[in-house]
Amino acid sequence: MTFDLSILAQYWPLFVKGTWLTIRICLAATIIGYVIGIVLALLSQIPSRAIKAAIEIYLLTLRAIPFIILLFVVYYGLPFSGIRIPAVITGTIALSLYASAYYAEIVRAAIEALPRGQYESARVIGMSALQAMRHVIFPQIVPTLVPPSTNITLTMIKESAVLSSITVAELTYQSLVVQGNTFAPFEAFAAVTLIYWAITAIVAHAASLLERRFGRARSEHLVGSALAASFLSLEAMPKRSRR
Amino acid sequence: MSATALSVSGLTKRFKGSAVLDDVYLDVARGEVVAMIGPSGCGKSTFLRCITLIEQPEAGFISVAGKPFGREVVGGTVHRQPRRAVDAMRPKIGMVFQALNLWPHMTALENVVRPQVVVLKRSRDEATARAQKLLADLDLADRGDRLPHALSGGQKQRVAIARALAMDPEIMLFDEPTSALDPELIGGVLALLKDLAAGGMTMIVVTHEIGFAANVADRVVFMHGGRIAEEGPPGRVLKQPGDPRLQAFLSLIRPAAAEAV
Ligand SMILES: Nc1ncnc2c1ncn2[C@@H]1O[C@H](COP(=O)(O)OP(=O)(O)OP(=O)(O)O)[C@@H](O)[C@H]1O
Ligand SMILES: [Mg+2]
Repeated sequence: MTFDLSILAQYWPLFVKGTWLTIRICLAATIIGYVIGIVLALLSQIPSRAIKAAIEIYLLTLRAIPFIILLFVVYYGLPFSGIRIPAVITGTIALSLYASAYYAEIVRAAIEALPRGQYESARVIGMSALQAMRHVIFPQIVPTLVPPSTNITLTMIKESAVLSSITVAELTYQSLVVQGNTFAPFEAFAAVTLIYWAITAIVAHAASLLERRFGRARSEHLVGSALAASFLSLEAMPKRSRR
Repeated sequence: MSATALSVSGLTKRFKGSAVLDDVYLDVARGEVVAMIGPSGCGKSTFLRCITLIEQPEAGFISVAGKPFGREVVGGTVHRQPRRAVDAMRPKIGMVFQALNLWPHMTALENVVRPQVVVLKRSRDEATARAQKLLADLDLADRGDRLPHALSGGQKQRVAIARALAMDPEIMLFDEPTSALDPELIGGVLALLKDLAAGGMTMIVVTHEIGFAANVADRVVFMHGGRIAEEGPPGRVLKQPGDPRLQAFLSLIRPAAAEAV
């Protein structure tokens, strides 16, 4: 048995289409998921038991069920309640909800890790809760959000393969199509493996660049010397990003 | 303009059922300097946190320059003020925390500029001019572009004071302004507070510096168990304390007090 490159030569447009859709879905889910995550993290700061409990239930539920089940619930649940939308939208919504639970946890933990006095000093001078978040809290936590958010995003990109089960023509779906037409599963899945690897490698690399940039700014205000900071970003930062 | 900068009546705060502030009354006249002393845990910080509404008191009325803050009586019933009204009043009360709570991601100058722009809607130019003037007055003219971590303890303290002063407060509250400082810096900060007082600023200073209370304060308030146990001019309260608990408290710190008074 030989590796049949002609299959790739013949079917590469399907892989390109699938890759492009996977990228768009994941980008949208990252943005939507992050927006929901931030809103949930902000809401969870409101001292109300009812709101806290509701958010807790949302987070626990989304993290307790396998993504494929969440996807099916949304996929079959929406038409059940009279909403008919294309599978690709359904899939993107499910993926966004899935990611939002994890992003929310990350943002919430980062907010709560800051000394309480940071928020209090912003409020006491007259800023509203949102102004305090925008001017005082978020600028301080954004650098710490990058590494854990990258992990979630990478997981989400991999979970997006599950959308093939509701006929969304993303990368995995296309590889199944190629495999069905050619009866050459190894070639099809080897190609797909490489493409997923490339996507996640690019995302991870972009994140480490971002982290390094923030890392330098951060360590500067921690260490106070540009020289010390440059050592930190050379020596310490790559170790952290490997987490 | 009211002659009373701050009026507090019936202030009560409970944590898990136990009253940390128990029906506290305090009026501070415009330009008056009140030194608040008392043993650890008697409720001094909680008092400042309640009159700034960082903590929500269970009962009591607060007014700043004659305007109600937090609760008000409308048509015979007590109402909590809407959040916006509270936020709008907050700049009138300048609070300097014991931990200072400067914002570490902003330069010293930006710490003073940003709240003016965000809260008072001053233009950036106007706010910057004001901040630079204040920093210069506080001997920090060449420190504005530094991040807080690159400032000494005393410099940080002055930035925190400038940040509050820039909002043109009616009253300044200080929670143990010298307790986090190296001993050689304490004198400088006390001198600065003295200057502020001489400039007519109304202040409540929670302090263990009996010398400051004796020399700068117009009135000393002794707190005990969440109540004001004794108050009056420093000459009387510190030299002829009536309350046995105040006598006990002063005898604990007598060496320092004796030197200063
Ligand atoms: N968030 C809180 N929850 C429960 N109890 C609290 C809280 N904050 C303060 N207390 C309690 O209230 C009491 C008064 O505390 P507070 O910090 O006001 O004292 P203080 O007079 O400022 O003391 P110190 O001189 O040590 O700063 C203490 O017994 C403290 O344990
Ligand atoms: Mg205290």
